[in-house]
Amino acid sequence: MSEEVFLKLEGIKKSFGGVHALKGVDLEIRKGEIHCLAGENGCGKSTLIKAISGVHNADEGSIWIDGEKVEKMKPMDAINRGIQVIYQDFAVFPNLTVAENIALNGELKNKVKFVNWKQIHETAAKAMEQVGANIDPDVKLERLSVANKQMVAICRAIINDAKLLILDEPTTALTAREVDKLWDIVRGLKKKGIAVMIVNHKLDEIYRIADRLTILRNGAYVSSGPISEYDQARFTRDMTGHDVSEDKYHPAAQEEEILRVEHLTRKGAFEDVSFTLNKGDVLGLTGLLGSGRGEIGEALFGIAPADSGKVVLNGKEITIKSVADAMANDIGYVPEDRLTQGLFMERSIQDNTIASSIRRYMKGGRLDEQAMEDVTRHWIDEIGIVAPSPKPAVRTLSGGNAQKVVIAKWLNTEPKLFILDGPTVGVDVGAKAEIHAILHNLAQKGIGIIVISDDLPELVQNCNKIVVMRDGKVAAAIDNNIDEISLSNLLIGANEEEVEQK
Amino acid sequence: MSAKENRLTAGRKGLPGIGQDTHVLTIIGLMILVCIIMLLLRPEAYFTGLNLRSMIFQFPEYGILALGMMACMIAGGIDLSLVGIMNFTGVLAALIVKNMVIIENGEVTNPAMVVPAVVLACAVAIAVGAACGAFNGFIIGYFQLPAMLVTLCGLQLYTGLAYGITGGPAINGMCDAFKNIANGNVPGTPIPWVLVIFIAVLAVVVFIMKCTVFGHEIYFLGSNAKAAMYSGINTLKVTIMTYMFSGILGGISGILITSHLNSAKSSNGSTYTLLSLLIVVLGGVHPDGGKGRVVGVVLAVLLLQMIANAFGLMHMSDNAKTFANGCLLIAALVLSVVLDKRAAKKAAAAS
Repeated sequence: MSEEVFLKLEGIKKSFGGVHALKGVDLEIRKGEIHCLAGENGCGKSTLIKAISGVHNADEGSIWIDGEKVEKMKPMDAINRGIQVIYQDFAVFPNLTVAENIALNGELKNKVKFVNWKQIHETAAKAMEQVGANIDPDVKLERLSVANKQMVAICRAIINDAKLLILDEPTTALTAREVDKLWDIVRGLKKKGIAVMIVNHKLDEIYRIADRLTILRNGAYVSSGPISEYDQARFTRDMTGHDVSEDKYHPAAQEEEILRVEHLTRKGAFEDVSFTLNKGDVLGLTGLLGSGRGEIGEALFGIAPADSGKVVLNGKEITIKSVADAMANDIGYVPEDRLTQGLFMERSIQDNTIASSIRRYMKGGRLDEQAMEDVTRHWIDEIGIVAPSPKPAVRTLSGGNAQKVVIAKWLNTEPKLFILDGPTVGVDVGAKAEIHAILHNLAQKGIGIIVISDDLPELVQNCNKIVVMRDGKVAAAIDNNIDEISLSNLLIGANEEEVEQK
Repeated sequence: MSAKENRLTAGRKGLPGIGQDTHVLTIIGLMILVCIIMLLLRPEAYFTGLNLRSMIFQFPEYGILALGMMACMIAGGIDLSLVGIMNFTGVLAALIVKNMVIIENGEVTNPAMVVPAVVLACAVAIAVGAACGAFNGFIIGYFQLPAMLVTLCGLQLYTGLAYGITGGPAINGMCDAFKNIANGNVPGTPIPWVLVIFIAVLAVVVFIMKCTVFGHEIYFLGSNAKAAMYSGINTLKVTIMTYMFSGILGGISGILITSHLNSAKSSNGSTYTLLSLLIVVLGGVHPDGGKGRVVGVVLAVLLLQMIANAFGLMHMSDNAKTFANGCLLIAALVLSVVLDKRAAKKAAAAS
């Protein structure tokens, strides 16, 4: 590793509207190093990447690339200077072949008028050799696994003489073995003198790969240094701003059972899933992308019902074949993506709040406007939504407040079982704590709470039971006496016993 | 995290009234403009009771179609089959009246049958309109097909059915009682029946859109169909009901136009499809759905009637009118986009 700096950022500030996404960030990436950028969801990592790649221009601060100060950078300028970004969705073309995906970008960039198929194959072969990938160049991309799609994206990125490769959360959808393979490739790139910046917040993965680390919190620079300077306590403290282990959720054990799920199976999604939830419990459901964690929530809410299995809610066996069934049994569900699934962005807070309970406001043949407004005001006060009145469109709210509106929508149906998929994704630290407090409060009142999440610190802090899914099956069901690293190992394939031995 | 998501702004204060609705203000402005132009050009013909009456007899049939189009567009769809439904139901109504009430030498030979015939004709027209709409809604909602294609096929289908029944030539010469629906006055007053019918339909539509669960569900569906599903709204049912509602309005229009022209055939009012679309967009209904108000649509109906009437009085050709309508439609679309952008900017500045 050389000490020579490739990319240097100083005091980068960027705001959108009135929100400060970046409040003065410093970053230094040396030539040929593996650098990890860590921070919780919503800390400004994505905005920072976009500032580096020229998608956004910083409001203040300066950027040096290869010792040269760069101003008003456009995406093409960043590419020409050797900066390549691989986003979470890889931005590949599913209907084109591997070779086309790898080589076509370069062809377009060089303004080639006619496609030279022979050259495309050669370019692709060369790139794959460099990366150490071995994929049939004539296969259409849609037929590849996530890991291989990622490989193709990396091949495409390096053909244009890349000097810095930025990987945005590259491991979210990978299995343990695929992560190992990816790290091998990253090390190979490092040997060729290419710097790699990895955006990640999983501590164990960072330890295995990174040379140096930079931590952001709430849009601001916190600390930076060689990975050896960070132990788990410092890492957690720098990421979250407080020592996490202090405030775990530990309810008094109660015997009263709220939910029992037995042998729940939906072919192709999950099988033989069993767990119980007692009064006061906040149950965490986790696993990698595609492990079936989200699908269980969708099955319990009737969106994609289970094929077989038994669900017992408050001592009564229930059948859930549709959303209507779930709602008739007082089940509420906060979906994973609040923008597309959870909210009516253009409608008012009031409309969103009563969307699932509108029928109860039908009085004397017409809707009782006053009652709907009153109940919305009640929830605005009750769960602390920051809004001047029930009338503004939800579009005008921040992520945390918008999520609270989704929660209010379901609380207004008086659920007995409340399932939340990714309840704090894209929510700032303050609102996150408030949402967790709301959930604990509900659990104490006897409402069954299931939190589906891949945010391990969130689970460890807030759930007293955690069910870990792997490949559609329950890999472990644990009472929460686990730390993040062990939990993360469970996720990617270690056995429960092995973890406990550590 | 996107900037949009992050933005926290104070919303508009209070309910957006007419004074804050830019679409409504624009339409009122255009109405005044038409009045000023006609005041300069042909005041003696335009501002007369006679002309006012002639306008009142014309707009209800397509105004009611526009209300159906509005419901579908707020729900995030579109109903291009309305004119097909109108003619199909109109032909059926005409056929019933013609067959039940026998006229010889201009005299009704079985006067006792007149009222039952007219009532039955109206009931059948409305019921068939509802069935046609429900069919559209089912195909759109169950198979998740684009409303534009399904209702375009519906237009062909219902027009074809109407043609199949008449075999081409119009069905003419219904009894006076049927003719009076769209041409007569309320007995003892100078108020035309069509005006009463239009206002009654309007009141029902306003009530449904504002004060019922179904009305709110239409807005939810158009605003975000997926979120509606995740909120426990039965989106298939709401889709079917929305197009059924539109179909019923198509049936009512069918009665009015058949009565108005005293003639029913498959190709009546063929310009109304685009006209009703124009009215709805001009009235501030967002082409993506979820947004729009009845008051804007009604004002747009009146505006277009004023323009059409002005063109008529100036002895300008229908082509000129079509051209002007096209310009208006594009202007309305551009205006709605510009207003959206300006509102977004304002919201950004306010935070």
